[in-house]
Amino acid sequence: MSTQPGQDAKFFQRGKIEEFRAELQAAETKDKKYQKRKTVLKKVVANITMGNDMSPLFTDVVQCLGTPLLEIKKMVYLFLMSYGRTKPEQIHLVIPSFLQDCNDRNPLIRALAIRTMSYIPIPVVTDALSDQLRHCIKDRDPYVRKTAAICVAKLYTADPRKAERGGFVELLRDLMLDANATVVANAVAALSEIGDRQDGVIFRLNLLIASKLIAALGESSEWGQIYILDSLLRYVPDKHADAEMMAERVIVQLQHANSAVVLTAIKVLLYLMNYMENRRLIDYICKKMGPPLVTLLSSGPEVQYVALRNILLIIQRRPAVLKNDVKVFFCKYNDPIYVKLAKLEIMYRLAREENAREVLAELEEYASEVDIDFVRKAVRSMGRLAIKVEPAADSCIQSLLGLIDTKVSYVVQEAVIVTKDVFRRYPGKYEGIIPKLCENLDALDEPEAKAAMVWILGQFADKIDNADELLDDLVYTFLDEPVEVQLALLTATVKLFIHKHQSDTTKALVHKVLKWATEEIDNPDLRDRGFMYWRMLAMNPTLAGEIVLAEKPAITTDSDRMDRGALDQLLLHTGTLGSIYHKNPETFIRNAAGRALIDSPALNANSRAVLVPLSRPQLPPVAVSVSGPGPTEPTRPSSPPGEAGTSKPSLAVPVASGSSEGRDLLDIDDVTAESGGGGDSGEGYGDIDDDGPTGNAADPYANLGGAFGGYSADEPKPMGNRTGHGGDLDDLLF
Amino acid sequence: MAIDGLIILDGSGRPIIQSGYTAYPPAYPLLHIDTLNNALAQVSRESDVDPVLYVGPGIGESLAGSACCHIEVGGGLRMIASISGDEDPLVAFAFLQAFLEILQDYFGAVSTATLRDNFDVVYQLLEETLDSSGHPLTTSPNALRDIVLPPSLLSKLLASVSPSAPTSSSGRNTGGSFGGNGTGAAFASPIPWRKAGVRHNHNEILFDVVEEMRGIVGRNGVTLVSNVWGKIESNAKLSGTPDLLLTFTNPNVLTDCAFHPCVRLQRWTRDKALSFVPPDGRFVLAEYQHTSPSAVVSHLPVPLALKTNIDIGEFGGTVHLTLSSRLSTKELDNVEVELYLGDDASGAQCTTSSAGTGVGSVGGAEGSWSFDSRKKALRWEIPSMRTSGSWVLRGSWTSKSKTPRPAHAVHIRFDIPAYNFSSLKVDQLRLSGENYKMYKGVRGRSLGSIEWRW
Repeated sequence: MSTQPGQDAKFFQRGKIEEFRAELQAAETKDKKYQKRKTVLKKVVANITMGNDMSPLFTDVVQCLGTPLLEIKKMVYLFLMSYGRTKPEQIHLVIPSFLQDCNDRNPLIRALAIRTMSYIPIPVVTDALSDQLRHCIKDRDPYVRKTAAICVAKLYTADPRKAERGGFVELLRDLMLDANATVVANAVAALSEIGDRQDGVIFRLNLLIASKLIAALGESSEWGQIYILDSLLRYVPDKHADAEMMAERVIVQLQHANSAVVLTAIKVLLYLMNYMENRRLIDYICKKMGPPLVTLLSSGPEVQYVALRNILLIIQRRPAVLKNDVKVFFCKYNDPIYVKLAKLEIMYRLAREENAREVLAELEEYASEVDIDFVRKAVRSMGRLAIKVEPAADSCIQSLLGLIDTKVSYVVQEAVIVTKDVFRRYPGKYEGIIPKLCENLDALDEPEAKAAMVWILGQFADKIDNADELLDDLVYTFLDEPVEVQLALLTATVKLFIHKHQSDTTKALVHKVLKWATEEIDNPDLRDRGFMYWRMLAMNPTLAGEIVLAEKPAITTDSDRMDRGALDQLLLHTGTLGSIYHKNPETFIRNAAGRALIDSPALNANSRAVLVPLSRPQLPPVAVSVSGPGPTEPTRPSSPPGEAGTSKPSLAVPVASGSSEGRDLLDIDDVTAESGGGGDSGEGYGDIDDDGPTGNAADPYANLGGAFGGYSADEPKPMGNRTGHGGDLDDLLF
Repeated sequence: MAIDGLIILDGSGRPIIQSGYTAYPPAYPLLHIDTLNNALAQVSRESDVDPVLYVGPGIGESLAGSACCHIEVGGGLRMIASISGDEDPLVAFAFLQAFLEILQDYFGAVSTATLRDNFDVVYQLLEETLDSSGHPLTTSPNALRDIVLPPSLLSKLLASVSPSAPTSSSGRNTGGSFGGNGTGAAFASPIPWRKAGVRHNHNEILFDVVEEMRGIVGRNGVTLVSNVWGKIESNAKLSGTPDLLLTFTNPNVLTDCAFHPCVRLQRWTRDKALSFVPPDGRFVLAEYQHTSPSAVVSHLPVPLALKTNIDIGEFGGTVHLTLSSRLSTKELDNVEVELYLGDDASGAQCTTSSAGTGVGSVGGAEGSWSFDSRKKALRWEIPSMRTSGSWVLRGSWTSKSKTPRPAHAVHIRFDIPAYNFSSLKVDQLRLSGENYKMYKGVRGRSLGSIEWRW
């Protein structure tokens, strides 16, 4: 019914509401033990859970609040949680009951009352709640205190400034030192929620509080541990030693049974490692992280999937983790396809000279599997393996040739595609297999495979005796081919002509293709390329040869690793949606707060060099227009990269100095104040200030495209790309 | 960090129960339901749907992207957790699992009918375990049972309370007596997983050590991968606040342990002993991995051997499998061999036999075969395999395709009762903090799941 609210359903619902109302009214008299009311309310709640609108019953249901039976009270409160917010004009009817229940001697009822009130963001209710909450946050019962902590976060959502003026953030801060671990965890959760808001106060931990929170881990529930561990990312170590001490205390959490706790602990460790210098400890932590990650793979397929996607990120940044565990990722034929694909990717990443043989044997196994997608990916991985691990290239090529012999169409096509890349990686080494490829020309019907084969024919036209015949055959269908193949054919015939310009057939062939490309084709790229070749050949064929057959940069697979700065930032999102889709969550998920490494004296130099600034792009317009005192700042692009790390440099400095003195428990800065600081550039620059960091932040992910394709093909790219971050390779491989 | 809400869907993809989603437009849960149903409709095997589905922005900007985490519950039911923000999908899955366990704890089997009959309890459980801003709250059944009464207990209590005429004041007291004191106790207890004041007439604690071997054997009969994952499942019925110390004679066989929050991790790191105050009832005390003790042979041996001789012809093929046990003392039970014959498989015809299986070869000892026309798989089941002798399955299958594509691996499952791969031995269990005698029991069991390639 809730999925298709048709006309009949609506009518049925209206009838039901009248029925319930009548029943409730009848129950007011002669209701022994409140049984009647209970039955009706149960039906009402049932309808709510099925997504039916029961709000017209508001006044009738609220009448039951006076009933002195906990069961009934609970159901009325459930009703209020669902519909309270939609009845601003009637809500005052309930306030007296709320207030009474807030002072009930039963802690369950006290908690229920404040919780329900916090669900109703209407000013009269929030006013009443603020008063009550102040008491409840200091209630002697921990259940009430822990509920109150969460209610503060909701109060904050309803009216941030009011909650701040009311001193609730400070009250929460005090709750972090509560004797009860559940209360501590909820206070942390509430503060984190507030801190993640675009307009919230900044929630940062200092060493003292961070240590206290770690101490509370042992007594917390698993969910509490997750909140607490996650909040440790808000602690910025000032000294290497602090980070190292913290990490040592977190390591023990890797032995937790809850997979989410384990992954959160790993996230914290990866974060803290950015601030450490002790290589031995870092190596030790990397070693310690491996087994719990492997243990996650013994769980259900859903957990495996999340774990695998995270492992893929982690091993790119810390290759030492799981270095010797490639076998764990071998696929079973009855694994779900998403698990298989993720495992395959990791196997490729972990492949080295030492294990290349094992990995290749597995890949061969997969090439005979039933699932076509998986087989293709496996064949492709063989080619990538050949490109990545040079000593294994020979055997990879042998395997690929074996697969071509199977004559299974999609296997052959996939093999041809990767072979093209192998040729580019090892020029002059494997051209001997070209005849074999040519035998299978007719089997190629997919554009990518066909284009790859055409490229090979053109590139090595001088080594293939009958290249002109083969191309002539292929050109026969030129006008019907997809653009991808047409482009390849055009270039290949030109190359052929340059290789064999004496031959009349090639001359005729190239003329035919150029004429088609420039006269019959609508695609501007193809037409332009046609004109370009034509002019080059007409003006100076020798020079054309030099250009068309120019030496190509050798390719490598190193560049398919992510940009280091982006990787650092993504790892702060370990275990979150960002790590599943390998994309920063704030770019595609609602309410996601960005995260970035924060500079501190302890941040290691390599991480600082690639620091990606974080922006809070959606500041409320009011805050932006506030102008601060002080001289006009130079525009952002000219600031040195190191400082760009903190998107609001003028803010970060005072904050850092404040926390280093250890006076504040946390740094609470009103956003208005923050923007005041950030707005040093003056009124006129307000907009630039706001947009600048956004542009910066967006940039590093340009190369992370295809996030939702999940398994981007990781095409080998020209080696040139590497120069950008060539310097940090040593660091990546420790 | 937020789980936006939880939805339970019936077998046909319609919602049975969903949490409030109060802060979201009504279309939001519907978007998630539709996304999942669409994804399910697009695959041939339901298990192939990505467990984390991206839900695109809906109409209106308040519905920017989010994600739908889902699990299958059994009986065709599915649970969805909608997440957005910085949420960890693992939290969502852990929460779904925890909520499922709570439902099982409350109602036994979880089905459309039990959920419909107890929707008010389910709804209360939802409210109590997941607050509206998406924080999982209490999922420990120990604490929950005090706040939300299980249906049977509820009716009993109401029956006993009802005779007293509920005047306003005594009614309030009634509420207090079964809700209030209990709650106070549950959350005042310094131990979040255990409520205070537990009483049992008969004090006992039982441990089940369950180990599962998962492995892959290559076509040459060489074990490629084999891992043993173990679990210590416990059922504690102990009064008061018992502080237990469990020691093993050979704790070194346990590697990569993961523990229930009740276990004192520092103590384990220091002297490899499990010191803990258990929750009341069933819980998993520890999970571990058992790895090969010798550095030379990196794999644990697979306890059986399979010879395969499978020929693929046109429109079918022949199968000849020979299975034997490699264990010298224990029997393998419930051995199940499965071979996927390809999507076009239409039937199979086989015979089973056994040879040299010792005296008293009772009826059915040679096993039975069947063809699962839904999964397109040939299944061979042997109820019990002794230590000696061999079991043979011989036959052929037919396929509608000229070139059948069966899986190139045979899947084997088995049980070994009263046996552990790791031969983990409990040394002793000591109780402190309470003065009673308790009954202690330890039981071992092993399972296997092996992929044998051919």
